[in-house]
Amino acid sequence: MSTEESSAVDDVGIAAGVSVERPWALLVLAGFWGWLGSRWINDFLLPDSIAVSSERSFVPVDPVAAAAETLGSVAASLGPVGAPIDVLASLVGFVAGSLPHLPALARGAWLTLLLTVAGIGFGFVLAVPLSVGRVYGGRWLRWLSLLYTELIRGTPLLAQLFVLYFGLPLTQVIRELPGVGAGPIPAQAFWVAVVGFTLNSAAYQAEYIRSALESVDAGQLTAARAVGLSRSEGIRYVVLPQGLRYAIPGWSNELIYLIKYSSLAAFITVQELFFRAEAIANDTFRYTELFLLVALFYLALVLSASVVMEWVEERSSVPGVGGRQ
Amino acid sequence: MTLLRIDDVYQSYEAEQVLQGVSFDMQQGDVDVLMGPSGSGKSTMLRCINRLTEVDSGDIWLGDTHVTAPETDVNELRQDVGMVFQDFNLFAHLTALENITLGLKRVKGIHAEQAREQARDHLDQVGLGNQTDAYPAELSGGQKQRVGIARALAMEPKLMLFDEPTSALDPELVGDVVSVMEALAAGGMTMLVVSHEMGFARSAADDIHFLDNGQVVESGPPEQLFEQPEQDRTAEFLSGLQADGPQ
Repeated sequence: MSTEESSAVDDVGIAAGVSVERPWALLVLAGFWGWLGSRWINDFLLPDSIAVSSERSFVPVDPVAAAAETLGSVAASLGPVGAPIDVLASLVGFVAGSLPHLPALARGAWLTLLLTVAGIGFGFVLAVPLSVGRVYGGRWLRWLSLLYTELIRGTPLLAQLFVLYFGLPLTQVIRELPGVGAGPIPAQAFWVAVVGFTLNSAAYQAEYIRSALESVDAGQLTAARAVGLSRSEGIRYVVLPQGLRYAIPGWSNELIYLIKYSSLAAFITVQELFFRAEAIANDTFRYTELFLLVALFYLALVLSASVVMEWVEERSSVPGVGGRQ
Repeated sequence: MTLLRIDDVYQSYEAEQVLQGVSFDMQQGDVDVLMGPSGSGKSTMLRCINRLTEVDSGDIWLGDTHVTAPETDVNELRQDVGMVFQDFNLFAHLTALENITLGLKRVKGIHAEQAREQARDHLDQVGLGNQTDAYPAELSGGQKQRVGIARALAMEPKLMLFDEPTSALDPELVGDVVSVMEALAAGGMTMLVVSHEMGFARSAADDIHFLDNGQVVESGPPEQLFEQPEQDRTAEFLSGLQADGPQ
């Protein structure tokens, strides 16, 4: 074997596995999704006869509350030495206080998940032609794509949602559609939010994809054309497969933003995670606890998204294109 | 039979005149080498032949195909004209085999399994039958360039264009690529090569065209141009080349 072959072997990247890097985080996330999934199955699918009431937590509240109280009195009896136990007591107390609200938050998390997945997915479908138009389009296409991107990125998402929900006849149109709001299908506000997030996310995703497309060497398209592929075939089979791989890290950012921005749907009455938390807080006046709790939900969702995206990045990369090398 | 006819081609890039009336012919099976200082228009001349660059005026014919006619289907034309690039330009996300099958499947419409078989044959032909599943990043420069040659050959072109195929290679890797090209020339392929590789020019070239300032200064077989150039400009350039080695 000549020297060229042996030197080429050195260039092969070492495939880093995601799963071994953060076993603790993965364990916690597995627990979170196990619980959330069971909750959704219980609340949405199981018949009432065998399901736990959708208003009640899986873990009974009273024993946990009692444990918190016991710990609290033990801590008090020990005086200053009992401070660590006091911390533990308030932690258990927080759990006891949270338990009754978890079912409602789980239902909210379902809508948050749907909003995010729909927004990022439909947004992606729009973003690819937007970015291709921006990089490879003629003057008009480039200009239109730029106009759209700057218009969306230059105005607040909340304002966009308000315009869609209150300002345009969109809400009325969706309300008239068959099935909307019936049974498990969310009501019109949810669909307006999906439209809003799709339009908004498309603009941001298009920017990430655009810069990734521009980083693909121009010689790639030239070579595709020289083989006899048309321009659009060259973009589709040669430039996009590379550009989209390069886009993944930046694009993951947009996914993470969207998980959190989806909370703005609360302002147009979508009963997602933040809406639920705020409603409970307004009822119970336990603002700190509820917002802390909902923050933990978002944290778990965001961490899950980054784990998934790391996996996607690793899986989709080939030597020399994409991945973390 | 005349395969390629280049007739009074002018080409400019913005204000700069790149080609200023280039003309030459190639017979079927000829191997011609374009030489000349950088900026003399060699690469531009190649790119006009498969219409990666459009001429300002003049005509190019490939067999019966009027290359420079606006109505000519460039994607069809390019199947007849293989091109090999200085920087290889292998499709970075595809394996060596897939680099070849892409064109076979998407341009020629060949069924996937048959395309893979043909691609394997072409990789064998350039000595890379054992690297079918390697990605470009896993190949050396010499191996990449041989995949590049196989990719162009697989389309079964009438004419192969080589744009400085060995300039980006480490000196010790040039030989592999040159021997593939020599074998190709010996097999009767019509080849137009931009290169300063004297060894290849001597062993394989029928004619050398010396370009300077967008014009063919002098054409002739290698022994004539290398030993008894008629133009001072040719002599000057070639003596520099022989003294310094390939540029």
